[in-house]
Amino acid sequence: MGGPFEATPKNQLGLLARVPHNPPLVEPQASHSGAELGLVLERATFSYGDLWVLKDTDLHVPRGGALLVTGDNGVGKSTFLFLCAGLVPATTGRVLLDGRAPHVATPSDLVRNGVRRGVLFDSGGLLSNLSALNNVTLALRYHADVFGIDEREIERRARAALSELRVAQTDFHALPAHLSLGVRKRVSLARALVLDPNFVFFDDPDAGLDSATRKLVYDLLQRFRDDPKITMVIASNSRPLIERLSVETVELRHGYLLRKNSQTPSSLGPAG
Amino acid sequence: MARLRSTLPYDPRTDRIAEAGWLGAVGHSAIQWFLDADELIHTLSDAVLSYWAPGVAARRTVQRVIIAQIMYTGVQALSLVSAIAFLLGASIIIQTNLMAPADGELIGKILVAVVLRELAPLLTAIVVAGRSGTAMATELGNMKVNSEVLALSSLGIDPPRYIVLPRLVASIVSVLVLMIYFSVVAIFGAFVVAQLTANATWGSLYSGVSRGVLPFDLGLFLVKGIGLGAIVGWLCCHYGLQVKSSPTEVPQKASRAVVMSLLCGVVYSTFVTAMFYWIVGPPIH
Repeated sequence: MGGPFEATPKNQLGLLARVPHNPPLVEPQASHSGAELGLVLERATFSYGDLWVLKDTDLHVPRGGALLVTGDNGVGKSTFLFLCAGLVPATTGRVLLDGRAPHVATPSDLVRNGVRRGVLFDSGGLLSNLSALNNVTLALRYHADVFGIDEREIERRARAALSELRVAQTDFHALPAHLSLGVRKRVSLARALVLDPNFVFFDDPDAGLDSATRKLVYDLLQRFRDDPKITMVIASNSRPLIERLSVETVELRHGYLLRKNSQTPSSLGPAG
Repeated sequence: MARLRSTLPYDPRTDRIAEAGWLGAVGHSAIQWFLDADELIHTLSDAVLSYWAPGVAARRTVQRVIIAQIMYTGVQALSLVSAIAFLLGASIIIQTNLMAPADGELIGKILVAVVLRELAPLLTAIVVAGRSGTAMATELGNMKVNSEVLALSSLGIDPPRYIVLPRLVASIVSVLVLMIYFSVVAIFGAFVVAQLTANATWGSLYSGVSRGVLPFDLGLFLVKGIGLGAIVGWLCCHYGLQVKSSPTEVPQKASRAVVMSLLCGVVYSTFVTAMFYWIVGPPIH
């Protein structure tokens, strides 16, 4: 049971721990129990009442690996993505990111333990009352003591991320409502990138984009795919994206994850 | 390469639960009620506990949000509170004059009993709930619909700390300060009308007010102000965050937030008044 953020039981020690000022950013090691790095689902299920999105699934995407999830519209690809990202708690079972279980009410615990997530929502997910620049600087300011950076560095990193994604300077101080979908997605990508994530989760990353922005996104995804420190999960039905990335692809159907080319939703043995 | 295992053969019949009879429906409703109550309590407890969560930079960020919320909830409501308080004070004196010839002392005592102890806290809470509470619930509901709350979580920003705590604190501070302001303006409004209708002097009015205010009134004021502010902030945040994914839920939840805030506020105010008089006893003049 939990609050409006559907919190799983909290680690109370995490709330009482004290963080030293400006510690170095710690790269995550294997957890103290020797758990595997990367994304792990252990007998995870998810349902909205009677409607099953995921049924009793074990999954391991090792660090540096990539997984692309396809499926019919409305089957729950986005929900599955959020489950993997630890944004929604599993109905039963658990999700681990580099051996750490995310807690919905205290996501900052992950950042303090060196797990940084970059999530791209299909509509951008920008905070509507903050400008593009402030959307990008928000997380850096919130974790400034964990990252050991000052205000000048925060501003520099945010502007660099926005410029890398070719967001015009005139859009830096615009509210999301005044930006096109393509620019919103670029800002959202910049916001995800600026934290130097080791997990990235993209929901329909190329939907509704012009060709220039789409190319930018594809190049970025290929960069993530080739980075051995980044674990990536994408939810998309886009044929060009699937062919361009050439990563392992599974289909979500009736609550089961099926490898590509599987004809029936039957049990699968452990994959190597 | 990813390792993957899905168990269980697919059988659509296993997706359906057996249809429940009336007893099952009652049980289901009872369970749902407890789940809803648990979620309501967690909204408050997660926010309060997040105050002690680690993160110096996070605390600074949240403090900026608190200040912005106080500006919106408290400072920008001053003009509305001024108008209501002045007219209320004037109305009370007009009614008093209709019932009996009033002098300054009696006017002062009536203002303490009616305005300071009862109407100032309650009407202030009503103004804050109607003006800021609606906005709070609507804003949070829209954040849920637009996946902004999920986005905050993905950035490692604690939603109870960044979203609920600032609004809760702002609501408490604003209601407390606005209550004091309301009382002062209402007394001023009463005095202006009393001067015009009853020829009461400022000295007699001041004497009546100061004789009417008792030591326990400060405690009553604080308990009501903090409680009512907490109720408005808490319930408006909770119902706003109850929105799932449909924009049509936003006005429904906002409306429910305000209604529940008003109802709980009135119940709380009455309860506190009763408890104070039960514990302290009737005032002695």
